[in-house]
Amino acid sequence: MRDFAARLIAHESGISSDAGNGVPAFFVFEKLRPHMATLMGNGGYRALLMRTLALSVGEVPFLSSVRVSVEGTMEGLDHPDSPVDRAALLDAGVILLAHLIALLVAFIGERLTLQIVHEVWPKLAAKQLNFSIGDKENEKTKRRR
Amino acid sequence: MKKQNAAVNRKAPASAASESAKVRIRQLPSGVRGLDEILGGGIPEFSFNVIAGTPGCGKTTLAHQIVFTNATRAKPALYFTVLGEPAMKMLRYQQQYSFFDESKLGRAIRFVNLADIVMDQDLNAVLEEIIRQVTTINPAIVVVDSFRTVVRKAMNSASELEMQSFIQRLSQFLTGWEATTFLVGEYVEDEIRDNPLFTIADGLFWVWQVTERNSVVRKMQIMKLRGQASVPGLHTIRISDDGLQAFSRTLGMTGRKTKAGRRRRLSMGIPELDKMMGGGILEGDSLLVAGPSGTGKSALATQFIAEGLRQGEAAVVALFEERPDGYTTRAGNFGLDLKKPQDTGKLEVLYLRPLDLSVDETMQAILDAIERVGAKRLVIDSLVGFEMALAPGFRADFRESLYRMIGALTRAGVTILSTVEVEDSFNAMPFSHYAISFLTDDILRMRYVEIDGQLRKIMVVIKMRGGNHSKDIREYIITDKGVVVIGPRQTDYTGLTTGIPTRVGRREEPAPEPREKK
Repeated sequence: MRDFAARLIAHESGISSDAGNGVPAFFVFEKLRPHMATLMGNGGYRALLMRTLALSVGEVPFLSSVRVSVEGTMEGLDHPDSPVDRAALLDAGVILLAHLIALLVAFIGERLTLQIVHEVWPKLAAKQLNFSIGDKENEKTKRRR
Repeated sequence: MKKQNAAVNRKAPASAASESAKVRIRQLPSGVRGLDEILGGGIPEFSFNVIAGTPGCGKTTLAHQIVFTNATRAKPALYFTVLGEPAMKMLRYQQQYSFFDESKLGRAIRFVNLADIVMDQDLNAVLEEIIRQVTTINPAIVVVDSFRTVVRKAMNSASELEMQSFIQRLSQFLTGWEATTFLVGEYVEDEIRDNPLFTIADGLFWVWQVTERNSVVRKMQIMKLRGQASVPGLHTIRISDDGLQAFSRTLGMTGRKTKAGRRRRLSMGIPELDKMMGGGILEGDSLLVAGPSGTGKSALATQFIAEGLRQGEAAVVALFEERPDGYTTRAGNFGLDLKKPQDTGKLEVLYLRPLDLSVDETMQAILDAIERVGAKRLVIDSLVGFEMALAPGFRADFRESLYRMIGALTRAGVTILSTVEVEDSFNAMPFSHYAISFLTDDILRMRYVEIDGQLRKIMVVIKMRGGNHSKDIREYIITDKGVVVIGPRQTDYTGLTTGIPTRVGRREEPAPEPREKK
């Protein structure tokens, strides 16, 4: 799931002019937000983000400084309580997005999740819309090692 | 004035004008098996409908089935969710049904959540948002689920007039937009009189879930449907992996053909019995075979089916007690091969004993089987088992439903043999413990009698609606060939129908099955 999240962030970074100035994962969340809010309301999307955050904090402790606003935006990652290097921020973004996508998969299944992703990013190549691409490549790498 | 005159002059003859002026209301398929027939053909296009009922009745599933059946990219559906089931949960659960087609989501079916507007703003804002979404997406079908939650908050603050105005404006806009609308809501029947929604709605689909003893029974009623005649009354519905299925009270047989005037006599597979029946059973008759346990009712029914198969007539056997494997094996013991015709699709043996069975869905299963194999003969073995298999709530409807099914099937030329178990009384000869004999054209009674220290079997044709029949009481035995009717006896008895006859003639013949030697 992390490979998929990373691919999605890379794709969004490639098309978003602001992506270089902040945490790229947040642009993904922002792009998802109106779509998800239409589907499930602001409250529903906010609940999903809060769960995402709770799951991610265990892996990335500095995410505990992040808050989810009433409108369903994530706030605070740009200014964490303690200094964090950019690479760690980028990783945290990938972890957050991976958890959000995993939650969607758990609720509505892979096919519907991919369909939502495709609706938000219609230009994403069809072969990229596959959760197992990265996993298979990772397995091959592991086997080679 | 000139124009007016011209219009008057153009007036066509009354009959022609009424033909051309009459609008033809297109009907949308509901996607629910059996429901279109109940609705009188389908859902009227551009109608403004309410799907009402208590929680757990299948309201949302019904709405989804309608949406998935009709939504296309060119004519999409817009599904507003509110405060009831969140869209995420709805998608999670509804995708378990076979009708759910995820490829339609997003393009043909759009989900929009109205919860924030409903919570934070008034009815005008809700209406504005609905109008905004509808004008953007241009849907042919609109669902608001749950509409009750849309108006619940407003009910506390808005006046009844404001509420009525909101519903009126919503109805006018959606109908004007050429959308077929479904407002889903949890309502109770007491609200029908006072709620303006039910006055404005064109269609009112009411679903119930009734618990009776350990059984749950779901029913549907089309309380109102403008523009077309629906089938009145309560119809059973069942929710399975395929979603809702409705079972019309007419069992979908309203348009069936009636049988031709001249009917053949069909062999029962027992030559002596055919003679007793005046040459056999009339095609399209319903025969009731009544008798106590062990008198050979099922064996006789098997011979009736096997004879039909020999004559090239496909058949259906509906079992409510014995298992199909056992039934087929037992037929084999009589030298009747029922396996091969099952393999070749000439015979279907149904075993119908699920929990909480409804009469209508059982009958639908039988009708489906008859349709599949093109059956000319049907055995129901037994009516007592059939009734026992039903949920308690449905038993009251048993005779009425059976009457409808037997009537419709026999009119279509299917010949029916039903067995019924009756206890032998030793001072009378009842045909059944309940009055079902009115369902039948012909009655054959089998019973035990005590003769010469043996419990022997006799049969008699009680009635043959289609003609004369033998009045003789005949003894019979069950051998490895099935039921064998013995020729007229020389010894005379009286009081055979009591079960304890008295010999009035000389004993001249041996017992059909010899007594044990002392």
